Parts: sequence; C-alpha cells; structure tokens
Amino acid sequence: MERAVIHLNIADFAVAVETNRSPSLRGRPLIIAPQGSPRAVVYDMSDQAYQEGIRKGMPLTLANRLNRNIPILAPGFNRYEQAMKGLLKESFAFTPLVEYGSSDGHLFLDVTSSGRLFGPSADVAFRLKKTFKSAFNLDPIWSVATSKLVAKVATRLVKPLGEYIVAPGDEEAFLAPLPLHLIPGLTTADLNRLREFNLFSVSEARRLTLEQLKIPFLQKAPLIYDWIRGMDPSPVRAFSETASTLSADHEFSDDTNHAGILRKTLYLMIEQICKRLREKNLHSSGTKLILSYSDGLQSASTAKLSPSTSNDTALFKKCALLLDKAWTRRVRIRHMRLICEKLCPPMVQADLFSPETKETKQAALIRAMDRIRNRFGHAAVQTGLTLTGDTTSS
Amino acid sequence: MEDPGACRLYTGTSGYSYGEWIDSGFYPDGTHSSNMLDCYIKVFQAVELNYTWYQMPKAPAMERMCEKVPEHFKFSAKLTRTLTHEIQKNLWQKEVLAFRHGMEPLIRAGKLLCILIQLPPYFERSADFRHYLAALLDELSGLPLAVEFRHDSWVNDKVFSELERRRITLVNVDEPDLPGLFPRLCAVTNPDLFYIRFHGRNAGGWRSGSMQKQFDYDYADQELKEWAERVKTELMLEAAAGGIFFNNHVRGQAPKNALRLMDLLLKKDGGKTPWNAPSFI
Repeated sequence: MERAVIHLNIADFAVAVETNRSPSLRGRPLIIAPQGSPRAVVYDMSDQAYQEGIRKGMPLTLANRLNRNIPILAPGFNRYEQAMKGLLKESFAFTPLVEYGSSDGHLFLDVTSSGRLFGPSADVAFRLKKTFKSAFNLDPIWSVATSKLVAKVATRLVKPLGEYIVAPGDEEAFLAPLPLHLIPGLTTADLNRLREFNLFSVSEARRLTLEQLKIPFLQKAPLIYDWIRGMDPSPVRAFSETASTLSADHEFSDDTNHAGILRKTLYLMIEQICKRLREKNLHSSGTKLILSYSDGLQSASTAKLSPSTSNDTALFKKCALLLDKAWTRRVRIRHMRLICEKLCPPMVQADLFSPETKETKQAALIRAMDRIRNRFGHAAVQTGLTLTGDTTSS
Repeated sequence: MEDPGACRLYTGTSGYSYGEWIDSGFYPDGTHSSNMLDCYIKVFQAVELNYTWYQMPKAPAMERMCEKVPEHFKFSAKLTRTLTHEIQKNLWQKEVLAFRHGMEPLIRAGKLLCILIQLPPYFERSADFRHYLAALLDELSGLPLAVEFRHDSWVNDKVFSELERRRITLVNVDEPDLPGLFPRLCAVTNPDLFYIRFHGRNAGGWRSGSMQKQFDYDYADQELKEWAERVKTELMLEAAAGGIFFNNHVRGQAPKNALRLMDLLLKKDGGKTPWNAPSFI
C-alpha cells in the first residue's frame, strides 16, 4: 500500500507568529528583517508586502526604496522555534513520523500506519489544521499525497490558503500541467538549463528520456526523471520527541561578525549545557552548531565527541573548531544554536589511584565552580573568556 | 410507481480508499491505494465521494476518476465543507460556482447520482439557517440534490413539503438513537431518488470526536432485514432510483453490511456474503 503523507505549511510563518503578537499588523504589509545592519536582507514578508514587490532575500535598502511605509520587525528566531515546538507536539498525537523544517512552519507527517487508529489521512490533516488554528492561531495549508514531493507541490499550488488531496495513482496526471519551478529539488540553475531547451512544464520535460536528461544533468538526471513523474521514495524522517539532546540558543540583539563576541557567546552556551549535563550525570557524544545569518540563511557543522564529555573546556575546544567550520559567510550572525546529542552516562570508571592530569585538574576546577555558582549565582565566578565584550541577548 | 422492480438501486459505501479494508479481506492482500477503485467497482455500483467535503473538487481529477469506472457506475459527491460547515457570508456563492465547475465532468458523463448536502449537528431549524439553506438550494438548482440533516428540529412537514416541491431528496439516516439527532425515517421526498445513509448505531462513540469510534459499528442481520423490508415495501415503490450507502467504514464493516443488505434485497437470505458476490440489482 502506498504511503499517506501529510504536508502542513504555514505560509509566511515568521509573519504569522509576529502578527499573533501584534494583531494590529494583521492584514497589512509587513517585513521581517534585521534593522541596523547595512547588508540586512528581508527574512520574511506578509502577502501584502509581497504584492508590493518585496521578496525574501531582497536587500532591506531596496525593500525600503520600494515602499518606505511598510513596517519592519526584527526576526525572533526563538519565538519561531517555540511556535514550531507547539505544532510538533500536536502532530505527535497522530504519528511519531514527523519531519519538520527549522522554524519555517513546514511539517511532513507519515500517517500510513495510523489510519486504523485515527481514520483517513485527509481527516487527520483537517483535524490538525483546526487544532493549529484554535490552539496557536496559525492557519496552515495542508495536502495529502503518497510522497513528500507531491504533497509539497500540492501545497505550493494552493498557497497562501487552502488544501489539496492528491489521490493515490493520480500523481503523474496531477503534476503534468504544472510549471517546472513548482517541483521541489529543481534549483534555479536546473530550471535555467531546462528553459534553454524550451522546457517550461512538467509534461514538456517528461518527453525527454533518461539518457537525454543525462546530457545536461549528469548524475542528477535520474532524480529529475523521477521527480517529474511524482516519484519520491524519500521517507518522512522520524523525529523522536524524547531524543537525547540538549540545546542552547542565543539571539544577538545586534547582528554580529565579531569573532570575540561569538566565541564568548559560544562558551556561555557551553557552560549552560554542560551544567545541565553534569546535573543529569550525562555526557555528550556529539555536537552540532547552527548559525543563522542576518539574511535568514543558515549554516551548520557537526562533530563527534570522543571521548564523550560534560567538561566545559573540552567541549569548547571542539566547538571553537565547529564555529570556524560553520562560519563560512561574511554576513553578520543573528542567532546561534548549540546542540549536544547522543547523550550517555559517563562510561569510564574512575581509577582508585589515578595520577593528577590536566583533565582531572580541569574537572575539579569545574566542580568547584559549580559549587560556588550553586551557592552564589552564575556571575559569582567567570572564566576570562566570558568577561570581554557584550552579548546582550534579545 | 408501484413495481419495486422498476426502481434502480445504487448500493455502495462512503469512500472506498481505506487501508484497513485489506486487513478485513474486502481488498486482496497487497492492494495499492491506486487500485482500490478498480476492485471496488467489481462489487458495487456507486460510491460516495468523501474527499469533496474536505476540498473543493477539481474538474481534471474528476475527469480522470470518470474514466476509471464503468458506464453504469455512479458517484454521490459530498458538498464541500465551506458550504455546509464553514460558511463565509460573502464568499459562499463563489464556492458554489467552484463546486459546480468541479462537478462538470461527472455531470457530462452522466455519472452523478446526486450532490449530498450533509449539514452539521448545530445546523438547527433557525431563521438564519433556513434562509441559508433555501438560498443554497437555489444556487445549486438544476443539480440532483440530497439533504442530510443531523438535527431533529428539521423533522417537520413543512420541511418535507418544501423538499417535495423542489424535488430534493431527504436522506434517511440510520444513526444512534441519541437526543437531538435526526431520527430514523423512511421518507421519499423526490420521486427520482431515495437515499439512505447507514452511519452505524455506536451511541458511545458518536460524539467522541474520533471517526474511528463514531463509525465503528457492525449491523446485525436483524437490523439489516428490517431495513431490507422497508426499502422493498416503502422506498422502492415511490422512487425511480435509490442510493444506499454505508458509512461504518471501520474494519471493513461498511462493505460487509452493504453486501449483506444487497443479498437481502435480492432475497438471498442464507449464508454469508462472499466479497466478490455479484451485486447488480
């Protein structure tokens, strides 16, 4: 039996979250973008602003020139993340197979196996839509199809409001008349290449055989061949709600590309996570750093921690390298997220008569700092690194 | 009409694409969702389209559906929720136009049994709702219509007379005997078509908010026998055609009960209905 995949998409997610906080902005043009940054670009905009010609990724200076009267709000990544958490919680009530974007209002649910419990997939999608609306005042577009690709095309088709059910077996016919730019996975370069061949719609592109597609697209050809036929076997990646991760976030009040401030912030986040790890008597075996830039783009980097650790200094040593690896752009950074994953109990049994090493000294120092902080507060004792610069969070 | 043999019956279920019908044995093992309609049409002569309640029907999809079914097969399409449950004052007329457009292929192909207007339980016989219903029926005029009430305030001679005047079918519902619900009737308001919907009598699950509980009911043979008798002696005598649909889809009970009722109508009282039983009446 084919899969039943639901796609829920809250159009202009950031705008929807912000207008829930300030209802007076609803129904009006609105831009979400960082201010005070010379190279800031539009992170999100309302449909009304879109009608005015504002686009995502457009330099804010240009957006201002197009219409100076549109209000601009600074993005609140933490708020978007919180809103996503709420949506996820409701979604998990129907299936553990929920895949979601990073605070972008997109959710995929695989409800193939939960039909016996919750009924037809269209009904589940409809119930979730109603729940999102009543509990969070967020009104998603929804679609039901047999794959993520077809479900995503369906929601793109009805954006900004509506629903679409693509019946199993109807995928090819559904996609046939659509323009190629609606197919997820096709990049601007791919579309330009197809345009060079005068191919604008899915049905036109289908006339090419796989061999013909291989000439311009090489290894990507088989993928494109399948996509335009509605074939997408990629699974809805399960996310375990109880996944063993700990995370810390920091949003800079002023976007920054000051290395000192970034390193200091990173260290503070590490202190925060490691303290929680030590309280739970856990170690982390993996870590991930996600940087969100002023323009809304993100970059990430991951590393294994071997041996696993809950030591601030050891983790910082790894994460400082991660920061260098993830920080690939000159654009200022708005938000930083550190995730420690694969949590496990400390594996090594301490030796009875272990010699004093640098590591044991560090561990003892951190234990002493923990005791002082527990008694007198976090600011009672600080490392030198965290004393420089300003990391005021918003 | 006095000869029940002159009445053409269209029996089926509310929806046909249910994975659990494979487990129950109605669809063969390994049946893909895309092949379920092919299997379904070998057994039944009609189906209620539920998905048109969730989303506005799209003409191309309807056209493709028409091509998959034999000539005698009929569809009953539920009116979209934006016209029954989520009515927007200034927009609903536009929605009717969109719905009519979506139905066009079915009408053209002569495969539309009727449009099923299923009204919500809170749709009482108040002045506002009466006016809306009258306006809605006007906008949908020219289409074969069947109205299903879920509130007992509509049990009224004036309502039935008006439906008769408009030649609109009143849906006879079989649902739990709960206060406020539309009662089990056996009425014909349109000589062209009578209509019965079997929702099951699961009183405990009816207001649970879960379709899997609400429509989880297996009709007893005696209950179906009583209905078969009423269909033959009352409904079939008064209408040229009849639509009989089972909505108790959970665990494949709907097709099982539908086939049993068909057997009873054909007077095949003994034995259990095989899934591939010949069904044409």
